[in-house]
Amino acid sequence: MAPLKHLEKENPIIDACFQDFCASHGILTSCVLHLLFLYLSNYFEDFLLHDLYELTAFSQRQTNADRLKEGITLILSLIERQCRPLVNGLKLLEDLHRNKHTLSTGDKETDSLLQGGFREGQLTELVGPSSSGKTQFCMQAAASVAENHLGRVLYLDTGNSFSARRIAQFICSSSDATLGQKVMSRILCHTVYDIYTLFDTLQDLEITLRLQMNVNESRLRLLVVDSISSLITPILGGSGSQGRALMVAIGYLLKKLAHEHSIAILVTNHTVGAGGEGGKTKPALGETWKSIPHVRLSLSRDHKNSNCTISILKHTSLPSGQAAKTLTRKENQQCP
Amino acid sequence: MGDDEARSWIRGDETAKQMLSRVLKDRAFLLIPPLHRVPLRAGNVVEITGASTSAKTQILIQAAISCILPKTWNGIHYGGLGKLVLFLDLDCRFDVLRLSQMLKHRLLQANWLGNGAWWQLEESNVKSCKSAEEKTKTVFDEELYASCMKRFLYVRCYDSLELLSSLKTLHYRIQQQEACGSQVGVLMIDSIGAFHWTDRLSSSLALETHNRKSLSLTNVVETIVQELKKLLLVHSLVVLATKGTIYKEKYPANENNRKVSSNDHFSGNVASKAQQPPFREFMPSSWQAFVTHKIIIRKSADYQSLQTGQQNLLAYSLEWLQPQLSRIDRFIVDDVRKFTTIKPFYSKLLLIYIVIPASSSHAVWYCHCLVT
Repeated sequence: MAPLKHLEKENPIIDACFQDFCASHGILTSCVLHLLFLYLSNYFEDFLLHDLYELTAFSQRQTNADRLKEGITLILSLIERQCRPLVNGLKLLEDLHRNKHTLSTGDKETDSLLQGGFREGQLTELVGPSSSGKTQFCMQAAASVAENHLGRVLYLDTGNSFSARRIAQFICSSSDATLGQKVMSRILCHTVYDIYTLFDTLQDLEITLRLQMNVNESRLRLLVVDSISSLITPILGGSGSQGRALMVAIGYLLKKLAHEHSIAILVTNHTVGAGGEGGKTKPALGETWKSIPHVRLSLSRDHKNSNCTISILKHTSLPSGQAAKTLTRKENQQCP
Repeated sequence: MGDDEARSWIRGDETAKQMLSRVLKDRAFLLIPPLHRVPLRAGNVVEITGASTSAKTQILIQAAISCILPKTWNGIHYGGLGKLVLFLDLDCRFDVLRLSQMLKHRLLQANWLGNGAWWQLEESNVKSCKSAEEKTKTVFDEELYASCMKRFLYVRCYDSLELLSSLKTLHYRIQQQEACGSQVGVLMIDSIGAFHWTDRLSSSLALETHNRKSLSLTNVVETIVQELKKLLLVHSLVVLATKGTIYKEKYPANENNRKVSSNDHFSGNVASKAQQPPFREFMPSSWQAFVTHKIIIRKSADYQSLQTGQQNLLAYSLEWLQPQLSRIDRFIVDDVRKFTTIKPFYSKLLLIYIVIPASSSHAVWYCHCLVT
């Protein structure tokens, strides 16, 4: 069995570590653990796929059974340290109330529809045909979070549709120049043109957030990816698994960022023809994507009177099908 | 000596009554609406399949609440099992707020009924502002709420490696939790097919080297099944797993068609009816062999609520594929705010179960959560 052979060869190292282990009164110090983990991570997958009890039984029959057994116990403890803890419902609820607040979307009707707005820790998707006001909605949300919740916003723009001037119009305190400047400085915009750049940006973001512990006042609260579908659609296609696997991987990376660092994430999606299934259009990105976002909202615009309607397609704690009418704020409208 | 031995041998170890009470306690039947058609026992693995928005997680939450509530507490009958629930969230979309709201509602309801206040509940269907104040005084038991929430154990996994690590250490961690008193009753897995695409990608990319097992889809699922089997050996629990559909439904079964066809072919060959699964199966055969019960949930036509006349309620149809039952149950998920007057305080989604027998065309009765 391949893993055990590797373990046997490398026994001297484990011995040294075990001596350290004994020397420090039976407490595994973290650096020893890291070394071991780095070392064993090559074979980690193998251990996960094999039956550890069988391995133990096999090791009993070897000559250096004790050392092997110790090694296997070590692996088990490493696995246990690495996997996530079991939390009970009460702790989950506490974490929700303490860390994951509701962010206003900038529009009163949408806020009342969503019972508060976006929730930190959730991935919200906005689906709509072209020119239905998705980018306007995103910019309005960014302005609202930067102004009302004093949080930083990271806006990932894929189609060159971000406009600082428009954001300034959404900010109510633009009369006061310094305050307006401060609010605008909280919004950071990156252009992303393909999915690999998105991966890199998100992974850098994750490292930065982990280092600085995202807990102080002006922490990152909202991440907007305007038109994630324009990044994913080029790689989806045919029956191969690569495109969909990348899509699922991006989805999970976003959800992980949202949950661990208490960020609300807003992504937009376009619509495609439904092909005779009922209704004229359906959201793009297919069946697999449907189970990735927490909340799915559908936006449609009535071009005759430029009224937008937002309805809930799916929500974790609200019934779907509810709708609200909103009006896009024009240049000189009063702020609520 | 010989006499005594012979006598003790004849006398037996326990009476039938003692044995029955022991077995019923250890291996209780789980009858959770709307899954109550088939009694579920420890060791059963139920797979619930449905398209994206088909109330699967709602069913899991409802089942979890039935499991974590105790049978009786302070003289009030709740009708639960009082066991731990392990929730493995692979979709990472679980909302604890919903669980807490539904639990609070159940506790309140049981409180009203327990205090003989059924007539008050009927009255509350007629809206009146004054009774709202009276209702707020019947506060549910905070201590009971806290102890129930503590029985709900949750773990999230973001990829297959994390899932495998969690499964390998689950037995030990369950033992730690069980030391506090209750046993585990149900293990829930939300979306067993969540890592399907990423595992398929790694199986196509992995090099199958000599003697080394690669992290491919079949290997991962086999290991998952192995670990679950080992867990089922040592703990008496039911596994409830939801599964989303990855491919678009090829045979979108129209309910009316099915009813007509079932009446026609009833005397004919049953085999042809059971031939095609209504969705494309993507889980490997090791998982399919492990599953003992299968359910499929589909969206049904919108239903008009009899009580409130509210239109456009979401209705779903539930069909048992394994064991194959001929009746299709329908249920709706409705916002219970409309039935009670405690609107400003709680808002929750409650599963209301309506049984529509295949033969008649009108709904017969509400099998509501009130019947505990």
